[in-house]
Formats: sequence, C-alpha cells, structure tokens
Amino acid sequence: MPLIPRLNSLWRNLFHKDRVDQEFNEEIQAYLDMLTEANIRQGLSPQEARRNALIEVGGVEQVQERVREIRMGQFIETAWRDIRFGVRALVHSPIFTIVTVLSLALGIGANTAIFSVVNGLLLRPLPYPESERIVDVWHTPPQQSFPGLDRFSVSPANYLDWKAQSSTFEQMAIYGYAGLSLSTSNDPLPLIGATVSSDFFSVLRTNAMQGRTFTPDEEQPGRDQVVVISQALWQRAFGANPNIIGQTVTLNSRSFTVVGIMPAGFALPREADLWVPLGWDDKERQTRSIHDYIVIARLKQNVSLQQAQAEMSTISTRLEQQYPEENSGWGAVVIPLHEDLVGDIRTALLVLFCAVGFVLLIACANVANLMLARGANRQKEIAVRIALGAGRARLIRQLLTESVLLAVTGGLLGLLLAVWGSRMLVRLGSLPNSGDIGIDTWALGFTLLVSFAAGIIIGIVPALQFTRTSLSETLKQGAGRTGGSPMKQHTRKALVISEVALSLVLLIGAGLMIRSFWKLQNVDPGFDTSNLLTMSVGLTPIRYSEPHQQLAFLDRVTEQIRAVPGVVSVGATTTIPLAGGGSTQPFSIEGRPTGTVAEQPMAQTRYISSDYFRAIGIPLRQGRFFSDQDRDNSVPVVIISEAMARRFWPGENPIGKRLTPSFHVKQGAREIVGVVGDVKTSGLDVDASAMMYLPYKQAPRPYMSFVVRTASNPESLVQPVSRAIYSIDKEQALTDVQTMDQVLMQSLSGRRFNMTLLLAFAGVALVLAAVGVYGVMNYTVTLRRRELGIRMALGAETRDVLRLVLRQGLTLTLIGVGAGLISAYALTRLMASLLYGVTATDYLTFASVSAVLIAVGLLASYVPARRATKVDPTIALRTE
Amino acid sequence: MAGRQVDLLQGTLDLLVLKSLALGPLHGLGVSHRIAQITKGTFKVKPGSLFPALHRMEESGWLQSSWGESENNRRAKYYRLTAAGRRQLETETQDWQRISFAITSALKAT
Repeated sequence: MPLIPRLNSLWRNLFHKDRVDQEFNEEIQAYLDMLTEANIRQGLSPQEARRNALIEVGGVEQVQERVREIRMGQFIETAWRDIRFGVRALVHSPIFTIVTVLSLALGIGANTAIFSVVNGLLLRPLPYPESERIVDVWHTPPQQSFPGLDRFSVSPANYLDWKAQSSTFEQMAIYGYAGLSLSTSNDPLPLIGATVSSDFFSVLRTNAMQGRTFTPDEEQPGRDQVVVISQALWQRAFGANPNIIGQTVTLNSRSFTVVGIMPAGFALPREADLWVPLGWDDKERQTRSIHDYIVIARLKQNVSLQQAQAEMSTISTRLEQQYPEENSGWGAVVIPLHEDLVGDIRTALLVLFCAVGFVLLIACANVANLMLARGANRQKEIAVRIALGAGRARLIRQLLTESVLLAVTGGLLGLLLAVWGSRMLVRLGSLPNSGDIGIDTWALGFTLLVSFAAGIIIGIVPALQFTRTSLSETLKQGAGRTGGSPMKQHTRKALVISEVALSLVLLIGAGLMIRSFWKLQNVDPGFDTSNLLTMSVGLTPIRYSEPHQQLAFLDRVTEQIRAVPGVVSVGATTTIPLAGGGSTQPFSIEGRPTGTVAEQPMAQTRYISSDYFRAIGIPLRQGRFFSDQDRDNSVPVVIISEAMARRFWPGENPIGKRLTPSFHVKQGAREIVGVVGDVKTSGLDVDASAMMYLPYKQAPRPYMSFVVRTASNPESLVQPVSRAIYSIDKEQALTDVQTMDQVLMQSLSGRRFNMTLLLAFAGVALVLAAVGVYGVMNYTVTLRRRELGIRMALGAETRDVLRLVLRQGLTLTLIGVGAGLISAYALTRLMASLLYGVTATDYLTFASVSAVLIAVGLLASYVPARRATKVDPTIALRTE
Repeated sequence: MAGRQVDLLQGTLDLLVLKSLALGPLHGLGVSHRIAQITKGTFKVKPGSLFPALHRMEESGWLQSSWGESENNRRAKYYRLTAAGRRQLETETQDWQRISFAITSALKAT
C-alpha cells in the first residue's frame, strides 16, 4: 500500500476504531444475509436458512475481535520488522552510523537548546494566573525633550489620577525600585527591593506562601514598617527559618516586621528580594513631575488592549489640559507585561533560532549526501529486492524507517547535549527569568518532532533515488563502478550547493555581528576605563537625612579610600557611566524664554565630587573643574558636556552663561564654569546626550558611587577599599563593587552572547559545508578515475589534472556563494536592529566572507584533487 | 513443529484467496464460494478464518476493498488484487509448486 493510504489506514485503525468496527459489522451482516438467501435458494425454510448461516459464521463477536487484532498488528509488525532490519543495516556500517548520528545530535541538540530558551522566555506564559491580562502602563515622554524614548516611568499624582479615572482595568498598582541593605552580624547585605502599593500582589493574583501581603492601611507612613520577602531570600539570609513571620529585621537602619514570604518564582521586579509598602506622604502623593515609578494593571475580562489604550490616551489628554505645567506632552502607553519583560531579546532569539535551524539543515544535507554515497553500495541489495518483487513504496518505507531511526538516535543524544547547552546559554547570556529555561515536555516534543522531520529530510531524497533505478542498469554494472548515474550526481551537487549557500548566510550574519562588536569596542567611552574600581552606597535615611551628614560621610570615605595603598585618586558621582540608570531634569537658560516645566529642555544630570573628572579621566575642554571652594555658600556653579554646549550654545562661548535646573530653583541660576568631554552613559551604542554636572557640596544627595583609580590591577583593591568604607559606617551596604572593565563587559554582554553563538553556529556550518564539498569532490574523483587515467596516459600533466578537479570544486562553491549572497541580502535586514555601525548589507562583510568560503571550498577540493593526480593510469584502466 | 504447520496452512489460505481474486473482485461470500468451486469442494473456508485473512492481506497491501452492490442489490464489501497482490500470488504459487513437488517426491521415494 502506498504511504499515504497506509498512514490513513493506521490513523483510522487507531483513532476511528468505532467506524472501522461498524464497517466490519456491516460487512459480516451482508455476508450473513447473502448466505441466508443462498440457503433459501437451496430449499431451506427461512428460519433454518438463517440458523445454518449463523452456525457457519460462528460468533460474530469473535470474528470481529480477530479482525481487529489483525488490523492493528499488521502495521506494528511491519514497522517492527523495518526497525530491526534498519538497526542491522546501521550496525553493519558503524562508521557511517557514528558520523551521521553525531552530526545530527549536534544539529538537533543545538536546536533544542535554543528552543528551550525561546520557549522559556517567549512562549511560556508568566507564572501568574491569567497573566495575559496583566499590563504595564507607562508614560510616553514629550519627544522634543526625549527624542527616541517611547516609554517613561510614572509620577505618583498621575498614577493616582489614572487609577481613579480608568474603568478598563480590574486593578491598578504601582511599584518602584529600592536599594535596601539588610543588617547582619557581618557586613550589611545589599538587596534588591521594591516599594509597592498594597494591591500590587492582587494585580498579579499571587498570595504569600506563608503569612500575608500588605493591607491598604500599611501604605500610610508610620505603619509601613512591614516587609514581605522572597522565598529565595528566606532561604539565603534566614536559613529557611520557619518562625520568621512576625520577627523583626533591620533594613536601612530601620526595623521592619516580616509579614509574609512569597512563593518561589515570584520575581517582579526582576530578581527582587523583598517588598515594602510605598508609604507616600501627602507631598509625595501630589508630585506630578518626578517620574520614578512603574505602573502595572490587570485588564478587565473581555477588555482588549486597544480599548485600554484608547481610554488611557483620553485620560492623558485630559490631564495634559488640567496640568499643562507638568503634563503637556506626556501621554500613556499600555504594554502587555510579558512583552515588556522579554523586551529586546526577542529579535536576537529569533535570529539565533533561524541560525541554528540553518545549521541543522546543513547537517541534514550532509547526512543525505553520505546516505547517497552509501546507497551506491546498497544499490545491488535494493535492485535484488526489487527483482524479487518488493514494491517501491515498501522499499521507500523501509529506507525512511532507517533514516528516521538514525535521526531519532541523533535526537536522543542531542537531548543530552541540549540539557548541557541550555544551562550554558543561561550562564553565558545572563538571561531574564532563567528559572523557566530547561528541558521540559515542550522541549522534548520539539526534539522528537525535529528528529522525525530530519529523518524524513535526510531519507527522502536517497529513498526516491535508489528505488527509481532500473534493474538492468544496476545489475549490468561491474563491481568496480558502483552507482554513479548522472542523476545522482546532480542531486549530490545540489545538496552541496545549498550547504554552501546556507553557511554563507550564517557566516555573513556572524560577520556583521563581529563587525558591530568590534566597532563598539573601539568606541571611545569618553573616559579612561583601565585600572578603575567602582562601587555604590545608598545612605540610609535614618542616619543621613541631613545634607551635612551626607557630605560628612562623602568626605570621610573619600579620605579613607585615598589613604589605601595603591589608590591613585578617588571621585564620587551619582551614577557610574555605562552601569545603567541616571536621572534627567528640565532646566531653563537665563535670558531665554522660560515656558512651563513641560516645555523646558532636558539634560542628564550628575552630582559629583570635585575630584571626579580627574579620577575617571574625563577631559576638560574649556573653563575649569569644580574645586573645594565651590561650596554651600559660594556662587552656584555647573559644568556642562560638549554635547550640551553644542546643542544650546552653538557658536557661542557657554562659560559664564547661567542656567537653572528645575530641581534646584531655590538656589537660583548657576554659572557655567567649565565644559568637559562627552561620556557614553546608557551604552556604547547610544550617542552621548546633553549632560550637566552639579557639585555635591552645593547639592548633596543621599547616594553616591565611587570611582577609584588604582596604580595596578583594581581587583586586588576590592577588599582594602571595602574595608575602608565599612570602617566609617558598617551599616551602609556597598553594592555593585566591580572594575570598570567588568561594567563595560556587562554593558556588552547581550551583544557578546549573540555574537558568540552566531559565530559558533557559523563555524559549525563552515566545517559541515567543507566536509560536504570534500565528500562530493572525493566521490567525483573516484568516479572519474578511469577518465583521469586516460588523460594522464595521453600526456596530461599533474597540473592539468589538479586544475580540472579544482575547477569543478570551485564551480560548485561559486554557485553556492551566489545563491547564498542573494539569500543573505534578503535575510540580514531582519537583524538590522542588532547591528551597530554597519549596515545589514555591508559590502565589505559580504565580500570578505565570500572570499573565506571560496578559499575553504578550494581547500576542501584540493585534497581530492591531489588524490586525482596520484591516479596510476595502468591501475585505473585495469579496474574496468 | 506446530509453528511451521500453522504457517503452511496460513500460506495455503492466502494462496487460495489470492487465486480466487485473480479473476476479478469478489465480496466475502463470493471468495468463500469461489474457493469451494476451484478446489472442487475440498476446502470450505469459514468466515472465522476468511475475514481475518482478508483484512490481514488488505493491511499488507495485497488487496484493496471498496463498497459495492451485490448481485441481489445488497451493499457488500468487494476485494480486489493490487499489483503487490499479483506479485505475491506469483511468488506463493512458485513456492507452493516447489513444496508440493518436494513432498510428492518424498512420498514416492521407497
């Protein structure tokens, strides 16, 4: 039976048993009836005729049972026979089996590993009930002040208005990040905390695993000293103490009562250790222009994202009119939480998924070629079987069983690879939500499906080819020349050409990533990154609420660090460049129209110590740095970046001009005393924006990061410098103690991850393609041995033979490269957002990668070509 | 050697069914009658062994079935030989001739 009707029959037998049974019932009833009629015709009475017929049939049920058994058994039996035969055939040629199983294991394993990441991050829903209804609501900032930014955090007053006026949400809650340090008997433990409104947990529909979450009255200042901790923190810091609920812990020098433990996997915001109530006072509730919070909400049942978005747009417009001073230009955007959390990683993952799929396709093409080559040896066996009456479909099925067997074995082995691979991916990529990544049933199903598909792909071409051969042709062929019909040669060449084309696409993708990375690494960040140690301290409000306390801490710590041997200089700032974060504020320029706050221009703002620029190595362009004379009672001053000078004072000298940052209106206009070089702050791939620096001494902040320039390897100073800071106050937790090189590394980690993987895949593809070219050329030489022998007998030089074979290999490679260039041209634009400084169709990359591939193709043909020149004409001719 | 005996019998039945269908499609009762007719009544195949055989051979791809009208306007399932079935008939015929020749010679031997 041909394959399709056979599958159809299996389907019916397995899943439509009732219909099959019913049909058989009809069949046997007809038999009974006809037999009865026949008996009547022979002269029996109707009753007797019927009775005789029933006796002859002998129990309809038993017959039906036997038929049923047979129908099922037959398919399984055939399959089992094919599998046994396949195993025997594979064991018979162990090298072939090992090579194919390994290459398929590599291909399938890589696919499963990437799939486990895609599944964990993109496909699987978040671990909250009905999580598809949870959304983030962000502000959209005015574009003239924040060009290119499409979402912005929210201010308390706007959130309260949104919550009161919206009707498309079941619930709306708000949270903010809070660095908290937990006092322990040793050094304080820096933790990632969130301040949350009391309904935060009910938006996520998640209750505490033990204890409770917050009540609405705990949002009141004074009653807010309660804390909910994560399961991970409970185990890490409290040894999973079962009596932790109700106990008191010290956070930022204040005591809090533990009221609940969240279940494992509850991680919003990402990697949060604990949650405390917001505790807004009246002043904070009315703050409209300081955007510090993130709003989450749960859509009402049957409300679409578009409806919610429409309503939020209406509310924002209303608020713009109501509070033009603070709100004009500020809109709102509703984004599904899942999309928000996954973010930019989507494109990268999809590109990697495509890449790894290509690798598998190349591996399949290679294996198919191997099978074709091996089939040449089996041609005889198959021809004999056809001669003995085996049907073509039956043989195809047998051959496919064999290739699926190979692929599934490869897949199982690949699964082991994938277990290891997905762990490595998580480590390498520091992926979000990494608890969800692993080999689960979905990944298993995926592997099985891919294995089957691979089995069919590698088996179908050889199977169709072998069974098409005419009997006489094969049997006629002598032992020396096994199977090399021109048809088969075409197929093998086509397979190799597609291998070359696919690997070219991968190589170009990897090449573009490498070029981007290289360009990024050569971007000047604007300061000296070598021998630089950085760390941050958030001062606890209870001891450092007063500005003079904050300044005293800054002074004493700076002094202590400077005294550490090996330290060259020390500076302090509010945010380390490239480490993420930073604040932006509006400002007005003296002598120009002020306008409302919403209309004012914006600039990134940093508060620094007077030694900061010298310590980090930001160059002075004009004017002067801050000095210790810029203090509380002296003239208010500010230093601006070149980008800010260019943007607001083009062609003018900004020194001596005055501006007023909106957070410091009380101190009046500040005089610009210096212009410094631009610094990359949000990332090496983001252009430096306008930046203004204010001296700590005139505008103290309760948080500071230190940059410590060291004489030698900064890592050796981590301990002494930490000691120096803790010697001032051992309750102020140090966070993010790392060298600038580590900061840089981290800012590039996403790109490094993509580049490394793509490069690895492209490398594997290149090797596979080279093996493919080698295999086909080697085979060609074997087939043409006689012709080459004659040529050499007729006086062809070694050089001529070499050229002849190389030309053929080159032709294959060139066609592959041509096809690959066209595909790459169409495909690489999908990864444009992952690139930096190169276009997706960068001709330099296209050209150099093509050159590499052509060289590899030539090299892979060279070995067979050398072999061709070693052909001994007498032997070659004699073997015929 | 009970196993071989069963095999032989099953082979015989298959051969008879294939042979009876070689002239054209038949329904179950038709096959049974045709076998009785061509073996001159030596073999009478009962439904208990006929139907399992028909279905097994259909699953093996030797037969194909379809519903049709019987001579008395009754709906009945007809079986026909496929190409594979014809080849099978040839092989089994040759096998049978070899066996029957061998057995006959053996019995004649003194």
